Amino acid sequence: MQPAPTTSPEPTVLEKVIAFVDERVGLKTIQAKMLNEPVPGGSRWAYIFGSVLLFIFIMQAVTGILLMFYYVPTADHAYASTQYIIHDVDYGWFLLSYHFWGSSAMVVCVFAHMSQVFLWGAYKKPREMIWLVGLALFGIVMGFGFTGYLLPWDQRAYWATTVGVEIMDKTPLLGDFMARFLKGGPTPGQMTLSRFFVIHVMILPAALMGLAGLHLFLFRTAGPAGPFRGTPEELKAKTDYFFPRQVWKDIVGMVTVFLGICTLAFWEPVVLLEEATPDPGDYHPEPEWYFLFLFQLLRLKIFSGEFGQFLGAIALPGAFMALLAALPFIDRDPERNIFKRPVALIGWIVVMTTILIFTVSAIINREFLD
Amino acid sequence: MTDRAPLSPLKLGLNVLWSAFWTGFPIKLAFALLFMALGMIHFEARLGLGFVMVLASPITVFAMPILMMLGSHFGEGAGLGLLFLLCIPIDIWAMGVVAKTLFLERLHLEPPDGIGFSLWWKSAVTGALYLPVLWMIVSTVTETAIAISHSIFELEIFHGLPVAEKISIELTLWGGVSATVLIILLVVGVSLIGRLVRSAAQNAAPASDNYQRLVTRWDLMRVPADQGLMLTAMTGAGVVLSVLFWAALPASTPHPHECCKPLEVKRQPPFKPIDALNRGERTLAQLAAQVEAIEKQRAEEEAAKDKHKSGKGKSAEPKP
Amino acid sequence: MTQPKLKSKVRCKDREIGEVSKVIVDPLSHEISHIVVSMNGSGERQVPMGQVESVTDDLVALRTLSAELLALPPFKRDDYVTTHEVEIAHLEEKVHVAPGEVLVPLPELEKSVKRRTFFMNLTHVIGFLIGLPIAFPVLRYLMKPMYAPFDNSWLKIGNVSKIKQEDVGVQFKYKRTVKEAYMPEAEIEKNVWILKATPAVLDKVYQGKDMEFRDAAGKTVWTNKKDMPYVAFSGKCPHLGCGYKWRQHKLLGQVFLCPCHLSIYDAAGKVLDGPAPRPLDALPIKVSAGGDVEIIDMEFKAGTKTQIRII
Repeated sequence: MQPAPTTSPEPTVLEKVIAFVDERVGLKTIQAKMLNEPVPGGSRWAYIFGSVLLFIFIMQAVTGILLMFYYVPTADHAYASTQYIIHDVDYGWFLLSYHFWGSSAMVVCVFAHMSQVFLWGAYKKPREMIWLVGLALFGIVMGFGFTGYLLPWDQRAYWATTVGVEIMDKTPLLGDFMARFLKGGPTPGQMTLSRFFVIHVMILPAALMGLAGLHLFLFRTAGPAGPFRGTPEELKAKTDYFFPRQVWKDIVGMVTVFLGICTLAFWEPVVLLEEATPDPGDYHPEPEWYFLFLFQLLRLKIFSGEFGQFLGAIALPGAFMALLAALPFIDRDPERNIFKRPVALIGWIVVMTTILIFTVSAIINREFLD
Repeated sequence: MTDRAPLSPLKLGLNVLWSAFWTGFPIKLAFALLFMALGMIHFEARLGLGFVMVLASPITVFAMPILMMLGSHFGEGAGLGLLFLLCIPIDIWAMGVVAKTLFLERLHLEPPDGIGFSLWWKSAVTGALYLPVLWMIVSTVTETAIAISHSIFELEIFHGLPVAEKISIELTLWGGVSATVLIILLVVGVSLIGRLVRSAAQNAAPASDNYQRLVTRWDLMRVPADQGLMLTAMTGAGVVLSVLFWAALPASTPHPHECCKPLEVKRQPPFKPIDALNRGERTLAQLAAQVEAIEKQRAEEEAAKDKHKSGKGKSAEPKP
Repeated sequence: MTQPKLKSKVRCKDREIGEVSKVIVDPLSHEISHIVVSMNGSGERQVPMGQVESVTDDLVALRTLSAELLALPPFKRDDYVTTHEVEIAHLEEKVHVAPGEVLVPLPELEKSVKRRTFFMNLTHVIGFLIGLPIAFPVLRYLMKPMYAPFDNSWLKIGNVSKIKQEDVGVQFKYKRTVKEAYMPEAEIEKNVWILKATPAVLDKVYQGKDMEFRDAAGKTVWTNKKDMPYVAFSGKCPHLGCGYKWRQHKLLGQVFLCPCHLSIYDAAGKVLDGPAPRPLDALPIKVSAGGDVEIIDMEFKAGTKTQIRII
């Protein structure tokens, strides 16, 4: 049976254009090479998170560009222009809320993707570099969330950023320099807003696109790791190509995420607090939900005092990230089955549970702040 | 044919429920979104729970109304009931697809006819009976655990404990207890569903194909007989839903929270200095005229008084 | 055992039978699983590596007899794809066959054309449906400020006592407040030319009809009566929007003259010379008993023959 469909006698215009380009560029071969990647053990729903992250990023870029049609990053107009988007521009509230919830979705999917890679042992040889680039991408996603949060210039934005940058100040040696660099001065103001805007809108997107491209290239070179168990016969029987089956699953994942974000935009549209002022008044500063666990951690007494704050804010998270980076080099056992890697499994459960507990604690703690 | 150990009810139940949930979820979500755009659903604070429960059917399909009757209020709106009704055919279809795949690939059995529907209604009934029980137990355990952990930390020895630590330790205590109970009950519940699957499997004929052919069968099951029709219908439905969505989507933000209404930018009437001066002048002129009138009046009254004085000697205090 | 080379001769136990035309590799183990023997014109046969006894530089010796080989089913090329068409990482490191045709089996699941086309089309449909719901809101979002409604309020701009002569253009400067989106209110300076017209000139302006001004819905906002002697012309030249002046012209007498491209208009606003596509735009005007002049500030698209209001 010929895999290619029988061609009709007279090729259509589209087919002729494709043939023209293909003759010069090898389009069909390139397309086949990109799409016909055999996925051992078959396409899986567990593998969708990488593509879903790419989709979310594209949607964030699109909604972000649209927001920039009306938003101005100046201290006198940032708040007013954001309110204009929410209340006056048609569907502005929806696009802004989509952008806001999209960033949360991105963080959730990053955690899911990292967890999937970790549990499947897909950071082990020969995939160490993919893991390292992935960690850099994780940092970039967090950076996006942090810088974007300031832009509406309401009380929540201003004070969350102030607290966040103060934490960074605790880094030894470089802390003061980094904090002043980000703030554009000793205290947050217009300079801060301009710098955060440039970082959020130009620097981080460029970095993300470059590193994501590298991440994909390294992944294709190494090939998908596939499931961690299964006989060769089973793997072979279920093998199919990236396109169309895995692509199809990726798309369904994207649809679900897209609809989910739209639903969240409806349930909780973005509402701004009062415009930022140097006096916090009754407002209790708080970072975005995905930083809450760190925020709560710093409230513990063992992290009080200058050294304590350094320990909790810089040393501990830094050490944890260093551990993650070193992971493929420490864990050299080629075993990938998570149920045969008790240290990894328990470690993952402990970390996730700790993050969950401290996040919920931060929410409960709100009632005790007055 | 690879020989496989029989699957436990827990694994069977987990496989079926997890897959069926995710199979139906995107479709239900599309409708939920449309209903939200139309303003037909308003979710209460326990949104996450309520929403997931509605969409986590098939097992919650009948459990949800029972739970709402028992007092847990997830939200209101006609859309909720409609969504819930829509879940029924979606779930029957999803269960069918998932069950047939499971039978072919994992159990190497021929899926019986109508397996989707029979599994659905059995799961729904099981869910309707089991989930309220689970809900009650977990709620009670959680409330008790919270109360106990609160009272532990009320004790004298813990008075010095700072707030943040107290919160986290309390949370770990009652959270751990509550989560453990929930997990155990969920495992039991999922196994119940697994048993339903197993009893359906007991009456099924073995599938005679080799592994590769079985995989090909369930894989090709997902390809519809008439592709053109299915794709056109899907596109058409998607377009219709999108157009409805466009019509329904509010142009300005729906239900803004009371706490922080934005400052209404009132259009100040343009300040015209000339007008202000003119008005000031006019007011002054009016006042001056009034003063004149009063003085005139006073003078007249004085004159009248003088007349009366000579006659009566009364002094009338002129009004200021 | 060394890997068989393409084009090496193949010999069965009894005689030479052909040469190696293709090599088939297992995609998971990256080992050569079969060779395809071309039998000098009598077709091709697929031989598993288990049947190969030895491989030397240009000869592959098989364990079987030629008759057994011929009895094998003919090789089905369509069940395979070349390594150019598939992405298998690091294959070249293990397979040292000289370039030619190295084949990889097409996965069983991919063999169904119907399946492949179905999922391809389904992916396209879903992709299309993802973008669709936001297409309309995005369009409206971007278009918000493009068609702002008109402000038809009356502005007091001065008093007719300023006009000393008839049929002479007098410029009245005024300020208009604008509020753009979220920006604070700002004032912009504008001007109009007002003429006290004699009946002859008035007739040229109105041409026997009252001038009606409508809003976007078509409702009449104001009507300039044709017998009211005061006429207000928008300060922007209808050619490209420059501000024009009232000047003495060598040949044409007292005219409105636009310095940008030298459009010339008479006292009634009609085009005497220059690139202007239409006469000067008249504005709604009312004069109170005390002589206070009020106008509705309007602007019209420059460069068009028909008058299209934009502000």
